[in-house]
Parts: sequence; structure tokens; C-alpha cells
Amino acid sequence: MVTTYLVLLSAIVFLPAVAAVLVLCVPKENVEASRRLTFGATVVVLALTILTFLTPLGGPFDYQTEAAAGMQYVFSVPWIPSFHIAYFMGADGISMPLVMLTAVICVLAAGASWSVTTHVKAYCVLFLLLETGMLGVFLALDFFLFYVFWEVVLLPMYFLIGVWGGPRREYAAIKFFLYTLAGSVLMLIAILMLYFASDLTDPALRPFLGKCYLPEAVQAQAEAGMTARAAGQTVAPLHTFNLLALAQIGQQTQQLGENLQWWAFLLLFIGFVIKLPSVPVHTWLPDAHVEAPTPISMILAAILLKMGGYGILRICYPICPHGGYDLALFVCVLGVVSMVYGAFAALAQKDFKRLVAYSSVSHMGYVVLGLGVWSATAGTAFNTDYWNMGVQGAMFQMIGHGISSAGMFFLVGVVYDRVHHRELDAFGGLFGRMPVYTALSIGIFFASLGLPGLCGFIGEILVVLSVWNYSYALAVISATVMILTAAYILWMIQRVYLGGEYKGPHGDALTPTTLRENAIGGVLFALTILFGVFPNTFLLRYVDKTVTRQVNDLAQWTRLVKEPAQQASVDGQAALEARVNVDLAKAQTP
Amino acid sequence: MEPSALPWLLGLATLLPLASFFFLLLFGPRLGKAWGDGAYVATGAIAAAGVLSAISLLIWLGHHFPGGEPEAHAAQAVSAPAPHTGAADAAVGSDGHAAASGPSYAGDYYLLGQFGKLRLSIGYYIDSLTICMFCLVTVIATCIHFYAMGYMHDEQREVTDREVTLRDGTYLTRRGRYVRFFQYLSLFSFSMLGLVLAGNIFMVFVFWELVGICSYFLIGFYIERPSACCAANKAFIVNRVGDVGMIVGLMALWGGLGTFAFGDLTHIDADGARRHEPGIFSLVRPVPGGPLRVPDGMVRLSAHREVAQVVDGLDRQADQAEIERAIAARVPQWRDGGQEGGPDGGPGGGPSPRGYALLVVAGIGIFCGCVGKSAQFPLHVWLPDAMEGPTPVSALVHSATMVAAGVYLVGRFFPVFTPEVLLVIALVGCLTLFMAATIAITATDIKRVLAYSTVSQLGYMMLALGVGGWVAGLLHLITHAFFKSLLFLCSGSVIHAVHTNDMRLMGGLRKKMPITAYTMLIGCLAIAGISVPFVIGLSGYYSKDRVLEQAYSFMMHADNRNFLASLLFYTAAGGAMITAFYMFRMWYLTFVGEPRDADRYAHAHESPRVMTVPLMILAVFAVAVAWSPPGGLGRWSGLSVVNLLEQSRPPHTLADVASPGLGMTWPNEHFAHEPSQHATIVVPVTWLATLTAWAGIALATVIYALGYIQADEVRRYFSRTHRFLLNKWWFDELYALAFIRPVQAVARLSAALDRRLLDGLIDGVARWTNRLAKVWDRVADSLIVDGSLVGFATSIYRFGVRLQRVQTGRLRDYVVYVAAGALAIFVAISFFRGFYWGG
Repeated sequence: MVTTYLVLLSAIVFLPAVAAVLVLCVPKENVEASRRLTFGATVVVLALTILTFLTPLGGPFDYQTEAAAGMQYVFSVPWIPSFHIAYFMGADGISMPLVMLTAVICVLAAGASWSVTTHVKAYCVLFLLLETGMLGVFLALDFFLFYVFWEVVLLPMYFLIGVWGGPRREYAAIKFFLYTLAGSVLMLIAILMLYFASDLTDPALRPFLGKCYLPEAVQAQAEAGMTARAAGQTVAPLHTFNLLALAQIGQQTQQLGENLQWWAFLLLFIGFVIKLPSVPVHTWLPDAHVEAPTPISMILAAILLKMGGYGILRICYPICPHGGYDLALFVCVLGVVSMVYGAFAALAQKDFKRLVAYSSVSHMGYVVLGLGVWSATAGTAFNTDYWNMGVQGAMFQMIGHGISSAGMFFLVGVVYDRVHHRELDAFGGLFGRMPVYTALSIGIFFASLGLPGLCGFIGEILVVLSVWNYSYALAVISATVMILTAAYILWMIQRVYLGGEYKGPHGDALTPTTLRENAIGGVLFALTILFGVFPNTFLLRYVDKTVTRQVNDLAQWTRLVKEPAQQASVDGQAALEARVNVDLAKAQTP
Repeated sequence: MEPSALPWLLGLATLLPLASFFFLLLFGPRLGKAWGDGAYVATGAIAAAGVLSAISLLIWLGHHFPGGEPEAHAAQAVSAPAPHTGAADAAVGSDGHAAASGPSYAGDYYLLGQFGKLRLSIGYYIDSLTICMFCLVTVIATCIHFYAMGYMHDEQREVTDREVTLRDGTYLTRRGRYVRFFQYLSLFSFSMLGLVLAGNIFMVFVFWELVGICSYFLIGFYIERPSACCAANKAFIVNRVGDVGMIVGLMALWGGLGTFAFGDLTHIDADGARRHEPGIFSLVRPVPGGPLRVPDGMVRLSAHREVAQVVDGLDRQADQAEIERAIAARVPQWRDGGQEGGPDGGPGGGPSPRGYALLVVAGIGIFCGCVGKSAQFPLHVWLPDAMEGPTPVSALVHSATMVAAGVYLVGRFFPVFTPEVLLVIALVGCLTLFMAATIAITATDIKRVLAYSTVSQLGYMMLALGVGGWVAGLLHLITHAFFKSLLFLCSGSVIHAVHTNDMRLMGGLRKKMPITAYTMLIGCLAIAGISVPFVIGLSGYYSKDRVLEQAYSFMMHADNRNFLASLLFYTAAGGAMITAFYMFRMWYLTFVGEPRDADRYAHAHESPRVMTVPLMILAVFAVAVAWSPPGGLGRWSGLSVVNLLEQSRPPHTLADVASPGLGMTWPNEHFAHEPSQHATIVVPVTWLATLTAWAGIALATVIYALGYIQADEVRRYFSRTHRFLLNKWWFDELYALAFIRPVQAVARLSAALDRRLLDGLIDGVARWTNRLAKVWDRVADSLIVDGSLVGFATSIYRFGVRLQRVQTGRLRDYVVYVAAGALAIFVAISFFRGFYWGG
């Protein structure tokens, strides 16, 4: 089975890269062939993900049994053994939906790439490399591998903005690159901190080793080390990049001290939050979006931003719970500030794409807020339900925003391709000129506005409702953002689509949308409705078990380590270990 | 049929218009005459929904016949032994009826999400109020669909919109949007029915927003007109302001109760166990029919410090069940323990319990949503502007159904409102009814008169609910829906004939369009509440009298001898006079006197049959909807809307509810109707209502029909008041100053902050890095690196030159060097050996 997963997941991740090599072999003049090959490759990747996750061929993805809470499709083979780096991948309820989202959006973005007409071959190669990187980020479970994929995403994106972008593309590309690189460097520091602090031979880890999917050799080494340590011998520490093992180390042992966790959390969080992006490190986003070509904007908004949210959920909280607990208020406030600030800034924009970009900042604030509400404390008797709801809301918001933001950038691109400007005040009357396009636009923009029945609503309302038990004030502020959102979206719709006549240049070019454009917009619109009407069927049931497990684990950790406040945390950690031993003893008795 | 069919019948009735919407969305433009250009689809769907609603009503009557039930006029309602409802068990859950209320069926259709024990779902809650609302909505909507076929027929062809002038000076010409209009109507019907069917407050919110967006589409139907677009935006955004309050209410409920369901539910968990989940109504009134009690969840939320102490005090190995038990044991103590600040009371007479504030927040929050949707002060500003939409929309959405949804929700949520919230509701309603009525006096746009009249009447309903008149408020909702939609359709008929909304350009039209004129007169009489006192009257007589009676008995209660209670009653009574005055002013200006615009008068004509028949149907309802059959027909005598509504009356609203905190008491609604109170309450109030109505009509007649008093003179005499009213109490200007401009300023500020500060910072860092690099290039590269390299080379060279002198070529010197070198190495080695291993 493990080899099957190895083949399946590797195929999903590296198929675009292989296709990129094939595109390299296509003659430069044959532009259409490159595009078709690229589109075909993305379709095959989508088909593969569907086969893997939704049909019996690959599993299918289990969301019902208890096993659903853990990793599925896991394989791990040594890659650079001297540093204990493994080629280690898997999917669970957090990553699977994001992988599916990536596959879908890439197909649509590849479909939208027909509007790119210069250096098509190079564009296609970079596009496919980008897809490999993104899929890899969501599937990698080895921190080093994760970092490699993370950086793989960076370079193609830099060139895609810098070469195929608008007039200020170089500025935007360099800004994007430097911002993200700064985040990566912080992440790298944290990775090394965690790596050198970790030790798999800690006996406290013994009950949890099975959940970490270590390669056999490492597993044996770790167990031998534990035995030796139990016998009083000194053993050289066995470091690890394994994300699952690091999570167990962070939660179950004292290896990562409070201080170290705090700093590692902060470094990782800043790294991810730049990508997300959150105020005040968001200013690369409007520029990158404005300059990037339409399909790249779609990918940037729909997927790249989600890598930040995914990182926070997968890495920051499980590995550094001390940091997460201590900084919960900081994280939540940051989320709320992003929501408010992004909405206000969007209200003042005059450029269509910048408005959509700021709406992304505002909407991603919900993700930060949802992930941050650490509301399972002694005061709530460690009731995890509301926190769970917040995290699932953040997950939904990521997927929902992925769909709606890709749609919004696509729609902006459609009209930009025709009239070559984005001045909001120089539009108007598109309703009469392009009726189908207008219908799709209003649908997708209303999804972003958070209209019930469309995907934007569920994520927002779940997050907002979950915040009440954490902080009344933050909850009320986050609810008021709804007014601002309605204001900027409706005002934009009025200026662009409604009104008597088109006020800008190139009015003759406003032809009705083509079949290809309608298909892309139509798929996105259909997805917004399906996710908005059946959130449980399409998303939440897949996410539920994994998030519930993670939140419950962290609540348990809170109860034993962080609270009650009058007892020192080390004491609590000892209690936790003692409890584990009791459990073990119980398990071994029969 | 069994009542178990109700969820499916009503669900189907809800989905039919949705199907029509999608059908028209996809195929609408291609449908030809045979489909009535799509209108037949939409009309057929809503008519079928009406038939299904009627069937549901019959099923309901078959199982729960109104009247006759012993508790109907008891002074103190004790929960009737709930009739057997039969287990309407479906795959989706099970139906039961809340022990705490009258016969009702609650269940889930499907799940939206589950988070531990928290469930969000799409469900239903069906009681007689639901059935009434279904019938009301479908009947009115069907009439209006038919009417719209006539009213909107211009849209079947190319349209020239004379209100939109293009840049080249011509009028806009566009394709007709007939299909689109019916498509929106269908979507609206779906949303409205869904709102009424909703089984939980979350689902109410979902459909609440959907009706809002339909309203947005319909107000902005003439998208080319800037005024229509702005009105649509205003409507949606103002409603969102209310919705934020509603979300805060939802949060308080969700955080405290962990459920949104109205009624009790039983559902099957993933592990196959049946779980009983009490709904909101049972949680706030745990004793069936008993008084309001702060639910456990809210107590715990409010006492979170104490909860933390309890949890801390427990053994760490304690599992979740143990913690829950320990907390549950303390909850009653916390609830009764009260808060610091004294023994101010809560319901039930005890000191204000923990979490009571949350209950108030929940109530006020939900009411905020109702304020937005029902256009109550201070969020009423959107409704008059909403008249930019086509008139059938004003009739359906902005008078009869959607705006009444706020009142419906207050009625539905009534069991959760604390006395404090009820007082707020009453005051808001009172203020609204007065303010809107005064503005209606000066309006010259026929639809705006009706719009302000709607706002005012909605204020009456809120006032009624706020003073405890549950049936009074909802009955007024129903009667108002009929006569106001009638009035709007009549005004539409007039507008259709003379192509203007301005009453100053009308006059004398009754000769040209008698059906419209006299049906509208019926509407005016109904809204004024004209009757033969104590014998028979138009529908408005019954409902408005009930409202006034309840306000009067509220005022007369021994605990309420204060300014507020008197204000509520006298405003309502005075408002009745203003209502009669402005309605008849409108009628006279439109239909009586000399035509003031001969050209328009000459072209005026009675509307086609498809428009006048709905008028007549609605006129019948406006006259008779509140009638009850005469006595002596056995159980059929009980068949009236009032008795039907009584079945859904939330329990305990038939008890006097005292609020020690406020020092006021909410009298039970039946108190006013008790035979013993006939002389002290019913008789004076009825005479008062009749007199005020006639006084208003008389005043309007004197001024506008007979011309004994010149309206212009009155206007000059009260010029300052007139200007104040004409400018709608300056609300729009106030809001622009207080909210819109500050928000725009903050928006510009944050955009500038981004550009200047954050980007400036980043760019500045980049620039300085660049400069530093250049300096570094000069200093470090040229001076230090290159300099040091060159210097190093030079010094090596010099050193080499100096070293030349050692090369003497004399053997003696070399031997000395070798010996000295060997000695030095020896010393060094022994030194380091000592350093490392010496110890």
C-alpha cells in the first residue's frame, strides 16, 4: 500500500514538472501545442487527485472512521539520511481539500492562460513548475521537503510576475520576492531551531512514535536510543525534520522549551503571515496582483495565500503550542485588524484589481482570526467545540476564498483583456453589453460579499460565531466588517456593471464573453453555489475529524500544561507524561 | 393526510419558485409567447406553492382545529397537553413538538456542519403561524404575479427609459427585461417562504439575507438609473447594519446555548444513537409554559471565572464528564447568586441572575435585525428610497411580505425576549409610527406616502408586540399585508395610467379609472380602521383596535402609571388619526377634484383586467380577512385568523410578566378582552379609535376635497415644521454627516497609509539599502577589500625584500637559525602539551 501511495502522490506532485520538461521539447513557434499540453497536464493532475482521494482506486479518502483524524496516504522513504531528511508525504483533512483546490484552480488558470501571448513556451514551463511546488507544499510532511517546495513556488512566481506582468512588473516582482524571501529566512531559522532542539530518543515519545511514520531505520534508531536512555546511557540526540514527530515532541515532551516554542512560533508565524498576507506585511499583494497576468493572479489569490494559512494550521500550532497559547490574542487581533483595514482600504481603491486584492487581505483576516481563537480554556471547561468551529471556519474560508477570489481576478482579467484599463470610474453599463459576464460577476462578487447560499458566507459566519466565546469585543468588531464588505462590493458593482452606458475607452471592444470564458466563470460560479449550499457535503465532513483531533489534542495540552495557572507548566508536562504512562500501563495489562 | 406531510408539502412549496428561478435564469430569454415570455412559469410556480400551502392549511385544520381549545381565553395559560402530532419521522430527523409551546413540528432537512456537539442545519419549524404566513405570502404573491404581467408588459419590447439621458443627449433604449423581472420575483418568493419555514434562527438569517439581496435586485431593477442603483445599495447596506446587530444576537445565543433550533429536535448521531436536543424555546423556558429563565449556557459563559475555579479545583485526571457534572452542580447557585450591583430583578422576581445580560444582548441583537428589515427607526431610511423599484415589487416586497419579516421574527422569537427588550421594541415601534406618519403628511409622491405609511404601520406592529400584544401585532401584520398590497397595486394602476408618481399632477382620476379608485378607497378605509363599532368593520378595525387595546391595558396597569406607558398609548392613538388623514389626503389628491394636468388626465385609462382582478381579490381580503364566523355554527364559529394565531401563541405570554428591574408589568393579552374589562378597556378604546379615524378623514376632506382650508396656507403657517417634515426629519443628511463621510475618510486614510507609510517604509528601506550598497561598494570594496589586498601584497613584497637580508650565504648564520628554530618549536610544543594534557 505504501508504495502505491508513493507512486500516486509523487505522480500528482511531479506530473506537472514532467509536463514542463515535455513543453520544453515543443518547438517555440507552436504556441498552441504548449498551451494545450499545459492544460492537458493540469487536467490529468486533477483527474489523478480525484482518482486518489474520491474513488476507491486511491483509498478513497476516509472521513468517517477514527482513522480519518490521522494522516492518510502516508509514505516515507529516506532522502538525505545523514540529516534524517525523508521524502515524506501524506494527506489528511487539512491538506486534502487544499490539494483538490490547487488542482481545480490550476486547470481553470491554465484555461485562462490563452490570454497570455508572449513567450508562451517559457510561461507554460514556469506555470507547471509552480503547480508542482504548490502541490508539494500541501503534501509534504517533512519540514525540509516542505521548505524546498515552498522555495520552488517562489521562483516561478517571481518570473511569471516579472516577465509577463504589467507596466510596473519588475517593482512588483522584486517586492513579492523580497517579502516572501524574508519570510522564508525566518522560517529557515525556526526550522533549524526546531531541528537541533528535537530528539527522537526521548522516552516520553515512545507511545507516539507510531503516529509519526518514521522510516524504519530511524524508528529502530529512536527505539534503541530510548532503551539505552532508559538504561541510563548517554545517547547522541536523534534530530528530526518530521512534522508529525515535531508536533508530538512539541505537545508531549519538554524538549522544546517554552521560550524556544515562543520564538519558533513567532518566526514561523511571521513567515506564514507574510504569505497569507496579513496587515502590516501585506503591501506586496496589491502590487503583485495588479501587475501579474490574470491566470497568475488567480493562482496567487486562490492558492499561494492559502499556503500561509496552511502553514499556520499545520506547523505553528501543533509544534509550538506554547507560542500559540501565549500569542492567541496577538494572532486574533492581527486577524481582526487585517479584516477591518483591508475592507477600509478596498473601499478607497480606484483600480479594479487593487480593490479585489484588498478584499483578499480582508478575507484572509478571517482565516487568521479563525485559526487564532484559542477558546478551550478552564473558563469554558475546555469545551473545544467553538474553537473547532473557528478552525473549520478558517479552513472553509480558505477554500471558499480560493474559489471566489480566483473567480474575481478572472472576471477582472476578462474585462481588462477587452478594454485594457482597470479604472473603476471609467466603467459602467457592462450589464447591457455583456449580460452573461455580468450575471457571473454578480454571482461571484456576492460570494465574496458573504451572501448566504454562496461559499463566502459559511467561512465568515463560522469564524465570526466562534469568536464570541473568546472575546466579545473582537467578535463584535469582526461582525461589523460585514457592512464594509457590502459597501465596497456593492459600490464596485454599481460603478462597473450598472448604469446607463460605458464611460471608458475602447467601448467597441466590449464583446460578449467567449465560450471558454463562460466555462471558466461558470465552473467557479457553480462551485460557489455548491460549497455555499452544501458546506458539509463538499468540505466540512472531510475536514471535521482531523481538525477535531488537533483541537482536542491542543485543549488537552492546555489543560495539563498551561492551566491551571497556579501550577508550573513543567509540573503539568510531568503530569501529562505520567498520565501517558498510566494509559500505557492500562493498555499493556490485558 | 397526516401532519408528517407538512414539512414536505411546505418544503416543496418553497422550492417550486426556486426551480422557476433557475429555469428562467437558464432558458428565460428563449421562451416565447406560449410561455408568456416566462411569466407563466413564475406565476405557475407561485400559484402551485399557494395550492400546496392551502392543502397544508387544510391538513392543519384537520388535526388542530382552531378555537374551542379551553386555554384560549383563560387568564393564565397553562401549556395545553400538546395534541398528539404523530411521529413524522423521516430520514432527516424526527418531528415532535416542543413541550413548551402549542402544536408545532420541528425537524431538520439537512446538515450544514457539525462541530463537536454543535450543529448547524437547514430545518423547519411549523406551527399555525408558519401556515398562516405561507398562505398570506403565496396568495399575495400570486395576485402580484398576475398583476405584474399587465404592469410590466412594456418590458416585453424594447424600452426607452426617459429617466436616463445618455451623453449624446438621447434617451436610453434597451432590451426589455420582462423575464428577468419574473426571475427575481421567483427568487424572492423562494427566499421569503424559506424564511417563514426556517426551523432555526441561523436559517432565518440565511433567508433574511437572501430576501435582502432580492430586494436589492428589485429596487435596482432599472439599473440604468443612478437613483435606483443608489437606492438599492442603500437598502442593502442599511439592512446590513441591522444584520450586524442580528449577528451579535446570534453569537450570544450560539455562545450561550450552542443551538439555533427553535423547537426540540431528535437526531441520529454518527454512532447511531438518538440524541435529544432541546431548542431555544425549551432552553429559555425550561418549565413548559413557565417564565423566562437564563439558560445554563449563558450562566456559564457569564460566570467563566467561577467555572475556571471549579475546573482548577478538580483533580487533573478528571475527565470531561466529571468536569461537566461539577459545573452543572454549581450553575443554579451562580444563576441565583446575582451580580454585584444590587438586587435588581429579573423575570420570576429573583435578583438579576448571571447571564441575564447575555439574554438581553441576544434579544436586542435579534431585534436590531428586525429594525433593519422592517424599516424601524433609526434604520427606516432605506424603505422610502426603495420605491424606485417597479410598483408590484413595492407591493410584494416592500409592504406586504419582506418588510413584515421583521415583525414576523419578533413574533417568532417572542419567548426569548426579556421585559427590557420588549420595552425597547415598544419604544422603537412607537417612535417609528409617529415619525413616519408625520413625514407621510407632506409627501407628494404617491408611492412615498404609502412607503411612510408602511413604516408607520410596521411601527404599530412592533409597538403591539412590545407591549405584549402578540396576536395583536401579528394580526395587524396579516391585515396590513392585504390592504397595503392593495393600496400599492392601486397606486401602480394609477402610475400605469398617468406615468408619474407625483400626486400634484393627478386629480379627478376616479372618473377615468373607477375600479382602481374604489378598490383603493376600500384600502384607505381598511387602513383607517373604519367600522360600525362593536358590530362589524374592515380588517384594519380589528387589528388596530387590538393594538390600541393592548397599549391601553398596558398603560392602565397599576405598575405602569408612568410617562412611558402613556406615551406609548397616546402616540398610537394620535398616529391613528394621522394615518386616516394622510391616506385620505392621498386619495383625494389622486382621484377627486379637478385634473391638475390635463394632458396626463386625457391619456389616463383604466388598467386591463389582468391588473384589476387582483385588485378586487385583494380588496375582498382587505375587507374580510379578520372576520370571524358568527356564533352558533358549532366548531366552525372558531374558524378565524385570530384563533388560528392563538394556537401558536408562545406560552406564558398569557401571564402578567412583571419586571422588577424596570418596575413595570406586561399585562396578559387576554386581559383586555375579558368580559369584565369590556366597559373599562374595549369600549373607550373602540370609540377613541373610531373617533380619531373619522377625525382624520374629516380633516382631510375639509382640506383636500372641500377646500375650506387651503393647504398652501397651512403650509406657510407651519413653514418650519413643513420643511422639517419635507426633509424627512433630516435623517439622510444626518447619516451622511455622521457615518458615510467618516467611513470614506477612514477608507482614504487607510489606503494612503498603505501607500505612504507601509510602502514608503519598504521602499525607503530598499532605497537606503541600495545607497548603502553603493557606499559599501566604494568604501568596502575599493578601500577595504581592494585596499587591504593591495596593501597585503605590498607588505608581502616589502617583507620579502627585507627577508633577502637573511640570505647571507654564510653557513654559520644558517646553523644559528636552525638551532633557534628547533628550540622555539620545542618550547611551543611543550607549552601546548601542557595546556591540553598538562592536567
